[in-house]
Amino acid sequence: MLSSGTPTAPAPPTATMSPRPSRIVRDLAGLTAVAVAGIAGFYLFPNDLGLLTRMVSAAFLVVSLDLLVGYAGVATLGQAAMFGLGAYAAANTNLAGVQEPLVMVLIGGLAGALGGLVSGAIVLRAHGLPRLVLTIAVVQLAHEAANKLSAWTGGSDGLSGLEPGPVLGLFRFDLYGRTGFLFSLVLLVITLAVLVRLTRSPFGLKVRAIGRDPGRVRTMGGAVLPTLLVVYTIAGLVAGMGGALEAIAAGVVGLDAISFERSATALVMLVLGGAGSLFGAVLGTVVFMGFEHIVSASNPFHWLIVVGVMLVAVVLFLPRGLGSAAAELQRLARIAGLGGAR
Amino acid sequence: MKSGAAALLLAAGFAGSAAADTIKVGVIAPFSGPFAQAGKNFKAGVEAYVATHGDTVAGHKVEFVYRDLDGPDPGKAKSVAQDLIIKEKVQYLGGVYLTPSAFAIAPMLEEANVPLVVFNAATSSITQKSPLIVRTSFTLWQTTVPLAKQAAKDGKKKIIIAVTDYGPGTDAEAAFRKTFEAAGGQIVESIKMPLATTDFGPYLQRAKDSGAEALFAFLPSGAPTVGFVKAYAESGLKEKGVALISTGDLTEEAGLPAIGDAALGMRTSFHYSVAHDSALNRAFVAAASKAIGNADELSFPAVAAYDGVYVITKMIEATGGKQDAKKAVQAVLGMVWESPRGPVKIDPETRHVTQTIYLREVVKDGGKLINKELSSVPDQPDWGLAK
Amino acid sequence: MDTALGIGIDALAYGMILFTISIGLSVMMGLMRVVNLAHGAFAMVGGYLASYAIRQIGLPYGVAVPLAILATVVIALPLEVLLFRRIYGGAEPLKQVLMTIGITFAVIGVMNAVFGPTIKPIPLPEALRGTVDLGFRTMAIHRLAVIGAGLAVALGLWLLIEKTAFGVRLRAAVDNPGMAAALGIRTERLYLATFALAVALAAFGGIAGAELMPIEPTYALKYMVTFLVVVSIGGAGSIGGALAAAIVVGLVDTAGRYLMPGLGTFFTYLAVILIVHLAPNGLLARTR
Repeated sequence: MLSSGTPTAPAPPTATMSPRPSRIVRDLAGLTAVAVAGIAGFYLFPNDLGLLTRMVSAAFLVVSLDLLVGYAGVATLGQAAMFGLGAYAAANTNLAGVQEPLVMVLIGGLAGALGGLVSGAIVLRAHGLPRLVLTIAVVQLAHEAANKLSAWTGGSDGLSGLEPGPVLGLFRFDLYGRTGFLFSLVLLVITLAVLVRLTRSPFGLKVRAIGRDPGRVRTMGGAVLPTLLVVYTIAGLVAGMGGALEAIAAGVVGLDAISFERSATALVMLVLGGAGSLFGAVLGTVVFMGFEHIVSASNPFHWLIVVGVMLVAVVLFLPRGLGSAAAELQRLARIAGLGGAR
Repeated sequence: MKSGAAALLLAAGFAGSAAADTIKVGVIAPFSGPFAQAGKNFKAGVEAYVATHGDTVAGHKVEFVYRDLDGPDPGKAKSVAQDLIIKEKVQYLGGVYLTPSAFAIAPMLEEANVPLVVFNAATSSITQKSPLIVRTSFTLWQTTVPLAKQAAKDGKKKIIIAVTDYGPGTDAEAAFRKTFEAAGGQIVESIKMPLATTDFGPYLQRAKDSGAEALFAFLPSGAPTVGFVKAYAESGLKEKGVALISTGDLTEEAGLPAIGDAALGMRTSFHYSVAHDSALNRAFVAAASKAIGNADELSFPAVAAYDGVYVITKMIEATGGKQDAKKAVQAVLGMVWESPRGPVKIDPETRHVTQTIYLREVVKDGGKLINKELSSVPDQPDWGLAK
Repeated sequence: MDTALGIGIDALAYGMILFTISIGLSVMMGLMRVVNLAHGAFAMVGGYLASYAIRQIGLPYGVAVPLAILATVVIALPLEVLLFRRIYGGAEPLKQVLMTIGITFAVIGVMNAVFGPTIKPIPLPEALRGTVDLGFRTMAIHRLAVIGAGLAVALGLWLLIEKTAFGVRLRAAVDNPGMAAALGIRTERLYLATFALAVALAAFGGIAGAELMPIEPTYALKYMVTFLVVVSIGGAGSIGGALAAAIVVGLVDTAGRYLMPGLGTFFTYLAVILIVHLAPNGLLARTR
């Protein structure tokens, strides 16, 4: 079943046992890689910042999904509910007269966290396929509600006319999307740093343990449901921030932000990058959206075939996702390099 | 003739400013996903124009760059438009099927100095989002108001409304209700059907129980309209004498073969029928059918794209190929011309197309279902904005 | 009363289509433990081929439909051997999601490229056209036919699984794949046969249900959620469960739309949440 219980994409067991310094080094290397890649993207593709900004806000959604799927072992196809909530909350904040983008992101994150708490309470009691279907039900209900509440969401026309002010009153948004991109990138790196810290904490280890075998944690006297609820809330916070960033960058929030399709695509990106690794989640997002962009620009008519074939190929040739490919290379390199020392 | 034009271009190019010899026009449309049919029609409309008028305007070669925007995703709409403006350096944007996409693109037009000619997105307020937006399609207010007037004229007193629960559906409902009630009619109920509806049986059962004399419906063309019209034919409403009237979206030509004979006799109002009887339209249909490959797939988005390209060529002529969005838009305000759909005009106030709305009936013509025009109501503005 | 009956019979027709398409998915999930998100794609391919056979080749309905189902199976079988076989077993559900979504994307793209984006009608034969008067209301004949076909599928599957040697092996493999293999049941062939059956049922459901769920390229994704809901509420692998779930979903959806037209979707998904909480292992769950 598509569910908890079975290990989804477990990190190698050695990861939690290896000496402390190497873990910190690896985490720092990952964060640096994201930051450097982002800045490189900024200079190498100055004409594609719109796309890159969308990648960053999507990465928030995919990372939040990773907390649930990769760490806590909760499969969900409804995470876009929290993304959309964040987007609508941020948009309404702006339309109510608050122009500071940081405040918009904060409110979006809080709305997402609240949504995560509520949907966690609905979803987590079930297991396996029924749980997955509950997550779908949640996002469908949220979508329908957003369609009905057009006073706050603009319905299917979308909520338009957002005018985010300059970040911290200093950096205003421009046509090329420079500010929008850097703003999102900085927030992503900070968020990742916090999340990396969190996943390494005792709480994070407990979450991982639940993800692998909730039964065992329960018999050992661990509180499974409350812990998962906390993870759901944190994931909601992260997704909500992503939604807010997308609202800021696009200036319009549409119903697609809160759709099943958005959730499903995010899951595809996550699995592509390798669930269970936050950096894998980011990588999966960038690769999927980049690939989609290139293929659809070169053939706007039949690109879906190529994307589909690529996904199948990844399962066949990179069964643990792209992120693991990098880890695998790293492991091989280490073995080769430290062969003598062992 | 062509070489003459080329010589003129050379002369102009040397004499005047450094006008680019190729002018790029970005076309944003759904080429995949649920609305791919519309994207295909946009492309056919553009290609039909090029096939009949050539790709050179005032000495400049015009090149069209297509980008896929598969669904109502404003974030993607914005980055696709940015991509076209910044990287492809397009001087004009055209296309846009859905309203949220237009909303997302509107704020960047002035800074980019690029006009947007909307080929479809039908919410009235779109043209108010930027002074650089011109629209060549229609709005639901525009196509619905004449139908509601006609229903009142036909002596109908009680009508039930069923529309899809999204922006255009809400517009159609409001337009019909306001017009019909103003004419003394009564709306007994209005049903809003979720976009994802597959079985329309229950709604029609409700219409049957409501005691209305007619059913006014709007659904977006495609799977929903096919399901709805078929369900209507099976519901027994017709036998009971409750007519189904709607905007032309329900009997859109590309969907008619799928609906089949269940559509026969349906009365609709719309701005364009592929069967419109004029020499200009016959030439357009011939060229567009060739471009689309399968004549059965041709329908209304193609004519809006064809006219949209015409508007863009006028903009290019007026600016002499120089990028000046304001001047370009200024040049087409109030412009009057003969389109394959009939006489049209760009209203200088709303920058939306004023046109004739036809009342039509679905009939069989040589084994093929067509929308036969019965009467016409000329010079209809966008009633959603008209005071 | 008449109205209630009318809604009931509409709901039954809708439910039967859901059942016919979903049951193949349910059996695959029960036996091979694979979340096959490409199931709707096979239903769609069946519909396209049937439409093509009738409208372009000009075959009569009775010939075109079995041929289209057969052709869909023939197209799908290599996919089983090359792709699906690698993701059976439920060990890595995320891999299943990625691969079957990939297959779905590719199928959608191919159908759009080959047949174009318009809706493809499947013209009904004379005998299935028109309406009959049931006394309390008129009813399209094809809807009655769909109800009959759904019941026939349910009965046929029940007989197949309960009364044949194939069924014995299938049940053994569902209950304990390792033991079944040890006892000499060739699970690989069993899986292939089950896959073929599931695809055939999907194709048949796609064709039979085309009046309600028109055949167009996005079909494969559009209705997938509904199929998943049916399987999940019914409990994977359970014929009775899927039948009950399909009828419940059909009824809730149809009645909700009639009684509260503006809130139809809310009603359906709230019911899903309620049912999953009340019967987490499926409506007719066997106690394990």
